[in-house]
Amino acid sequence: MAEIILRAEHISKAFIGVQALDDVSVEIHKGEIHCLVGENGSGKSTFVKTASGVYTSDAGTIWLNGHSYTKLTPTQAMNEGVQVIYQDLSLFPHMTVAENIAINCLRQTGKKLMNWKEAYRIASEQTKRIGVSLDLNATIMETSMANRQLTAICRALAQDAKILFMDEPTTALTKQEVDNLLKVVVELKAAGLAIVFISHKLDEVFRVADQITIFRDGKKVGDFDPRELDQKKLAYHMTGRDVEYPRYKRSVADDRPVLQVEGLTKKGNYQDISFEVRRGDILGVTGLLGSGRTELALSLFGLNPPDSGKIVFEGQAVSITSPYHAKKTGIALLPEDRSTQGMFPDRSIRENISSAMVDDIVKCGILDLEREKGLATDSVARLKIRTPSIETLIGSLSGGNQQKGVIAKWVATDPKLFIMDTPTVGVDIGSKAEIYEMIQRFASEGMAVIMITDEMEELLANSNRVMVMADQRCVAKLDEEELAQPDVEKRIADMIGSAYRKGTEKR
Amino acid sequence: MKRVLINGPEKILIAIILLYSIFVTIVNPSFLSLMTLFDIIRSASCTMVVAMGLLVVMLSGGIDVSFMSVALFGGYVSTLLMMQTGINNIAFPFIVSTLIGIALGLCNALLVHWLRLPAFIITLGTQNLFHGIMTTFISDSTIGSGILPSSLGRFGSAAILQFETESGLMSLTASFVPVAAAVVLTWFIINRTMIGRGVVALGNSEESAVRAGFSPLKIRLFVYAYIGALAGIMGVMYIAQVRAAYPNKLVGDELMVIAGAVIGGTKSTGGQGKVLGVLLGTLVIYLLNSTLILLGLSSSWNDLFVGALLVISVAITSYQTRVKNRKNLIFTE
Repeated sequence: MAEIILRAEHISKAFIGVQALDDVSVEIHKGEIHCLVGENGSGKSTFVKTASGVYTSDAGTIWLNGHSYTKLTPTQAMNEGVQVIYQDLSLFPHMTVAENIAINCLRQTGKKLMNWKEAYRIASEQTKRIGVSLDLNATIMETSMANRQLTAICRALAQDAKILFMDEPTTALTKQEVDNLLKVVVELKAAGLAIVFISHKLDEVFRVADQITIFRDGKKVGDFDPRELDQKKLAYHMTGRDVEYPRYKRSVADDRPVLQVEGLTKKGNYQDISFEVRRGDILGVTGLLGSGRTELALSLFGLNPPDSGKIVFEGQAVSITSPYHAKKTGIALLPEDRSTQGMFPDRSIRENISSAMVDDIVKCGILDLEREKGLATDSVARLKIRTPSIETLIGSLSGGNQQKGVIAKWVATDPKLFIMDTPTVGVDIGSKAEIYEMIQRFASEGMAVIMITDEMEELLANSNRVMVMADQRCVAKLDEEELAQPDVEKRIADMIGSAYRKGTEKR
Repeated sequence: MKRVLINGPEKILIAIILLYSIFVTIVNPSFLSLMTLFDIIRSASCTMVVAMGLLVVMLSGGIDVSFMSVALFGGYVSTLLMMQTGINNIAFPFIVSTLIGIALGLCNALLVHWLRLPAFIITLGTQNLFHGIMTTFISDSTIGSGILPSSLGRFGSAAILQFETESGLMSLTASFVPVAAAVVLTWFIINRTMIGRGVVALGNSEESAVRAGFSPLKIRLFVYAYIGALAGIMGVMYIAQVRAAYPNKLVGDELMVIAGAVIGGTKSTGGQGKVLGVLLGTLVIYLLNSTLILLGLSSSWNDLFVGALLVISVAITSYQTRVKNRKNLIFTE
C-alpha cells in the first residue's frame, strides 16, 4: 500500500446544535484519487475545511506526512502540502493567468518586490507540468471556465501541493472540458499526488476514483472500492434508501399543441429548429454545451431574440419580446445558472416565491402580505422545501431546496409551458428524485415541459419525447416508441458524440 | 513576456486628446506651444498628485472622498506651524503635512476596516470631521499672501526649467517635481511591489486575497495612508500656488479628481485601473478647462464638457461589458 499522506482520526466537529462531523476517520494515500461523496450537508465540505485547517476540529487528530496535529492551522496545512480548490476557485478576475498561478507562492517567499519574470517562469513551468497550454497574458475574465479551473490547479501545484482537494470542479464545464480535466487529474495522480475529488456527478466519480468514501449526516458510511459499487448502491449508501426514478408516461388526452416552433433561426446560435410540445409532454432536449440548446430556451423566453422562424403558442402566432411578455403568455424559464439568474439569494423564501407574481397579489397598489405568506406557506408544503421558515434567506438553503424554491416561484404563476434548463445542477440525489417527481406531476396535470439536460438518466426517466441538438441544429427527434428501445441510450450518446467529432474535424 | 501597455480606455483617451488638440489648433493656432503645455501641467499638478493616491485606493476596491479635507488640514496646519515656529524652509511644511496626511489616512483605514461600512460613507463623514476639527479647534482665519511664509510663495512660483522666447518667459513649475515623483512611485508600487499586487488582489476579490495570504487590514492601512500622504503634499503645493491659505477652499473639489480617475478607466468596483489612464483622464479635464478661452467659450462650458465626458466614458465601459455578457448569454438589460 502506498504511503499515507493524510490520516484523519476520529474527527468530530459541531456547529451550534448541528453535529457536522461525527467521529470520522479517513486515510488518503499518495498517488490515489479519493472521491468523497454524500448529499449536501453530509459533512464532506466540513471534512475538507477541517483537513485544511480552516475549521479546528472539536475532537480527533489529523496526521499529515507523519506529523500529528490536534489544532491544525491553514498555514500548517499549506506547509504540509495541503491545497484546496474551492468551487469558486478564488481567482483574481482582472489579473492575468500567470499572476494568478504565481502570486500565492511568490507572496510566501516574503519578498517585497514583485518579480514578473519569476511569475511567468512559474506559470509556464506549471502549465507544462500538467501538459496544457494557457494564454498566460489573458486575464481570468477573458478565460473560459475550464481554463480557470486549470489555472487554479497550476496555482496549487506551484505551491508544492502533495494533496489536492477539488470541490465540485466539473459543475460549470462542458463534456469535452470535463474529459480534459479528468485526464489532467489522472496524470497528477500518476505523478504521485493525492487527489481528493468531490463531485455530485456519480459517473465522473466512477471514472476516476480509486477509493470512494461516503458521508451521510456527518458520519462516514464507509470506504469503498469503486469496483464493489454501482451507481444504484452508491445512491443507496448516500441517502440511506433506494433511489428510483420512475419513468414518465404521458397520460393527458388533449393532443393539441401548446407550443409549435417552425424554422426558428438565430445566426451563430441555432439554425432551423422545428418542434412542438403538447399538454402533458415533457420534451427532453439534450446536446453539448454550445449546441444551441440554452440559446433556444432563452429565445422562447423573450431574451436573445431569434432572426427568423415562427413561434405559435396555443394556436396563435406570437413574437415574444421580453421575459415579462413570456410570463404573460404563460411561459416560465428555470435558468441554467440558478444563483445569478434564478433567484434573489439575499431575500427570503417568501419574497422569492412571490417575486414572479407581485402584480397579482397587490391590492390597490399595496402588497397583500397575507396572500404572499399564504402563497409561500402553500408552496413550501407542496414542493417539500426543507426550510426553517418562509422568512429564511433562500441563498442559505441547500442547492436542492433553492431549486425547489425557484420552481415554486414559476409554478405559482401557473404557466402553460415550463422550460427547465438543467434543473438538477448542484442538486443532491435525494432532492433530485423529489424534483423529478414534481416535474412529472406538473406534466400529468397538463403543463407542457421542455427539459434541457446533460444527464442521460435524467433525460430518459423524465421525457416522453426527446430532441437531440448538435452544432446548432436539431439532429434527431425521438418519440415514445423509440425511447422504449433498449439501445436508446447508446443511440443518443452516439448522436451527440458523432456531431461533436464532426465539429472538431471541421475545426 | 509580451504585455500590452496601452489598451482600451487609454487608447480612446489619447485619440480624444489628439483630435481635440488638432481642433483647437485649427480654431486658434496659438494653442500649439510649449507654453500651453506648461500651463496645463501647472494647473493640473495638484490634482495629478492626489489622483495617484486615489488610483491606489480605488484599485484596492475602496474610495476616499476626504482627501481634499486632508490636504487642506495638512497644508493649513503646517503653514500655521511655520509661522509660529518661524521655520521658513520649504521642506518643513512638506514633511509636516505629509505626516498629518498619513495620520488622517490611517484613521480612515481603521474606521473602514473596523466598522465594515462602505468607504464612501466613512470618508464622507471624515471629510466633514477633519475639516470641522480644523476650523473649530485650530483656526478658521485666512492666511493671506502678506503674512504667508516667503518660502511657500517662492516654491509656488519657482521654475525648474525656464527659457526666453519671443512671446515671453516660459517656465516649467517646480510643482512638476512632486507630480513626477508621485507618478513614478505609484507606478512602481502598483506594478513592482508585493504590497501593490496585494492592493490589486484585494480589489479583485477580498476573499481570494485572504486565501492567498494577504492581510486586508495591512493593505487598507497602506492605501489610505498613501493617499493621505499625497494629499498632505498636495495641500502644501496648493497653498504655495495660490499664495494664501484659505480655510474653506479645496473641500468640495474631490469629485473632479474622482471624475479624472474614472474617465481614465479606473473602476469603482476595484481591481482595475492604470497610472497612464488616470494621468490621461486628468489631463483631458484640464485640457478642456484651459482651452475654452482659446475657443472663445465661457468657463461655464467646462462642467458640461466634463460631465458629458464622464457619462460617455462610463457608457462605453458598460456597453463593452454588456456585449461581453451577451456573448456568455447573460441578459441584464
